[in-house]
Amino acid sequence: MNRLVSGFVLALLSVVLPNIGHAQQAAPQRGGTLVMVVQPEPPTLASYQSTSGPIGQVAAKVYEGLLEYDFDLKPIPGLAKSWTVSPDGKTITFKLQEGVKFHDGQPFTSADVQFTVLEVLKKIHPRGINTFRAVESIDTPDPLTVVFHLSEPAPYMLMALSGYESPMLPKHIFGTGDINNHPNANKPIGTGPFKFVEWQKGQYMRFDRNPDYWKKGRPYLDRIVARFIADGSTRAATLETQEAQIAGFNAILPLDVKRLQSLPHIAITTKGYEMQSPIVELDFNTQKKPFDNVKVRQAIAYAIDRKFIIDNIWFGFGKPATGPISSNFKATGIYTADVRNYNVPNGVDMANKLLDEAGYKRGADGTRFEIIHDVTPYGEEWRRFGEYVQQQLAKLGIKVSLRYEDVPTWLRRVYTNYDYELTNNWIQTLADPVIGVHRLYHSKSIKQGTVFVNGTRWSSPETDKLMDDATVETDPKKRAAFYHEFQKKIVEASPIVFVLELDFVTVYNKKLQGWLVSPLGLYSSFDQAWLEK
Amino acid sequence: MTAKGLRYVLRRLALAIPTILTIVVLNFALVHLAPGDAADVLAGEAGSATPQYMAQLRQKFGLDQPLSVQLAVYLKQVVTFDLGYSFRHGMSVSELIATRLGPTLLLMLTVLALSVGFGVLLGAIAARNLNRWRDNAISVLAVLAYATPVFWAGLMLIVVFSVKLGWFPVSGMEEVAAFKEGWARVADIARHLVLPAITLTLFYLALYTRLMRASVLDQYAMDYVVTARAKGLTERQIAWRHVFRNAVLPVLTMAGVQIGALLGGSVVVETVFAWPGLGFLAYESLFARDINLLLGIFFVSGCLVVSVNVLIDLAYSLLDPRIELR
Repeated sequence: MNRLVSGFVLALLSVVLPNIGHAQQAAPQRGGTLVMVVQPEPPTLASYQSTSGPIGQVAAKVYEGLLEYDFDLKPIPGLAKSWTVSPDGKTITFKLQEGVKFHDGQPFTSADVQFTVLEVLKKIHPRGINTFRAVESIDTPDPLTVVFHLSEPAPYMLMALSGYESPMLPKHIFGTGDINNHPNANKPIGTGPFKFVEWQKGQYMRFDRNPDYWKKGRPYLDRIVARFIADGSTRAATLETQEAQIAGFNAILPLDVKRLQSLPHIAITTKGYEMQSPIVELDFNTQKKPFDNVKVRQAIAYAIDRKFIIDNIWFGFGKPATGPISSNFKATGIYTADVRNYNVPNGVDMANKLLDEAGYKRGADGTRFEIIHDVTPYGEEWRRFGEYVQQQLAKLGIKVSLRYEDVPTWLRRVYTNYDYELTNNWIQTLADPVIGVHRLYHSKSIKQGTVFVNGTRWSSPETDKLMDDATVETDPKKRAAFYHEFQKKIVEASPIVFVLELDFVTVYNKKLQGWLVSPLGLYSSFDQAWLEK
Repeated sequence: MTAKGLRYVLRRLALAIPTILTIVVLNFALVHLAPGDAADVLAGEAGSATPQYMAQLRQKFGLDQPLSVQLAVYLKQVVTFDLGYSFRHGMSVSELIATRLGPTLLLMLTVLALSVGFGVLLGAIAARNLNRWRDNAISVLAVLAYATPVFWAGLMLIVVFSVKLGWFPVSGMEEVAAFKEGWARVADIARHLVLPAITLTLFYLALYTRLMRASVLDQYAMDYVVTARAKGLTERQIAWRHVFRNAVLPVLTMAGVQIGALLGGSVVVETVFAWPGLGFLAYESLFARDINLLLGIFFVSGCLVVSVNVLIDLAYSLLDPRIELR
């Protein structure tokens, strides 16, 4: 029996843990073309202007950032060799790597950093506008030194300097012309291990090895080709026949993952998404009856069986969420599980009790009230989730009808017209709460017409203050304390039901090694990736 | 071509201009009925946005202008054959359509040739063997092929011929790991073409087979067949020289109608086989509210349908000289 259990655990571990150890043992082999499946096709390659998911998977092979990150979410050197933060947190000095060249042969210097941050990211990057809001000026005392002057401390900024989040652009290219509509937007020139060659719309993008890459001897691959295949079953078949070697961000549907997993040449992993941390949620319209009442919101939070949803709708790829901040932030001390626990066995009873207290008694036919539940149009599983909520709330005497719409219609409804009662949704909480979490709860983030901000319109001066304090707090302990308090308050008020922390799955060929080297996963440069012959 | 024929074509083309302009205006009105805009979608995909960013996008796309101004601007462009710019793709619409038109034509003309060719042949065979086993077999297969959902047929072909047998690639238009050139590339594209072409052909083939069969049977009931027999022509001569030629006309009409639809691409087959055609581009642009691109595709399809109709009318007069071009 014991052996059986340990055997099972080993099998489980070998599935869950990627081949990192293996990759370090074997010596990397040179050459080969890596074919990756990217879903969907990116709308553009301008990663300095759009954070649309698939862009990062390709653009990060070309553009690099000042920093990279280790699995503890700690910054490590990237294009910046070292950095120092002044004691008051308002001056950050970066020393740049020597001998770094852009793909056109021009050297990468401090002027490029200054230009990229002040003229591009701070102005037109959807998240950069926030990330770099405290940056007042940037000095360039010499070509390899960059000094950021901030109006207030900004500890979160150091978490947002990867090549995916804040790509460094060549000033001599992007400094001329209209940056909003630049001729090089889809012909990127960066410092990365791979050079952009061509983009056949609807088919593939091709990137060839950069022989002059500043990390000597890298990259190992000759070429990376990103392919775009709209059909889920076909994507699975390309991995099965080894036409492609890797597909992430659930490009292989959970149903197919189960099947592919049994093939000898396929491995899967849920690592490499630690800086995305998506949370599946139910969002209330807190300014409209009946969800203006905190007891009603809490009742729904109690009634949802998170385990059931994870196992049956997301095929086990996830874990119950406890609050607004993902448990991936455990390493940084920010996360706490010490909040009101809605994930209890007698949730339905609790919910019924709360609804009675809230004054929504059952009518003669057992119905308390009726609502429309919107379903976010991002795939089948959301429909299943909606159907589950419909059934579960029926147990509470809430009659739910479901509404399905396409993406633009749904976004308009939730974030511009606020014409909804309850919608399911998912939010990436990203590399730091300031970037990924504040937008959902701060009063200042109630911005009509802007998507994926505070659409529930719930806010309180207390939580606003906690977020404001945490934003500028440089002492990690004190910062964590602010966030612990914040999580308690938010979970108590329940403007959003936190359902599960979604695990994205990457399916890859075992011949592909060395690709998973940081929490950025597929958003990293693949300079260490190699193919076994 | 005769002077009469030329005059006919020119007159038809002149008549097409108001038709196409009406199509453009109607399409413009229709696509603007859908709620939400391209800025919502782009920001939505980004998963994060600030009000400045959204305003920037709308200004850049011209979405901050009143609808009437947007229509006027668009019409002015179309008249000069400028289909505008797809901000989502960062490319001009005509360039985008041009890259997709080639693969679409390749796939669709192959499908059309195969399905009309085999359809006519099988229909004729079935009709000549009325109610015997050949006829029954062909009819059953035709109905079966027609009733099978296209996406399922495509996936099954992939499972059998790509995954299990490994004869054909799973998807795409060419081998991207190798980037072949010259004749090797042609052969490579042909190999990629096989499965999507068969999938679509199976569907259309049934239609033409049934149509041809019925049409041949109709023609055999005509008086001229009796006359032909009376003057001593062999069955073979009657069939090939008289009956089949007349029987093909309705098939041609059908092909003319379908060619328009075919040129719009097939979303299903393009999706399943990752074939870079117009259909999927249109589908995508609808959900992305990429209005310029969508209207551009409609415009090009509209022009194609109009010109194909003229060509089909010309083909009638070739096949049946009694039909006059007026």
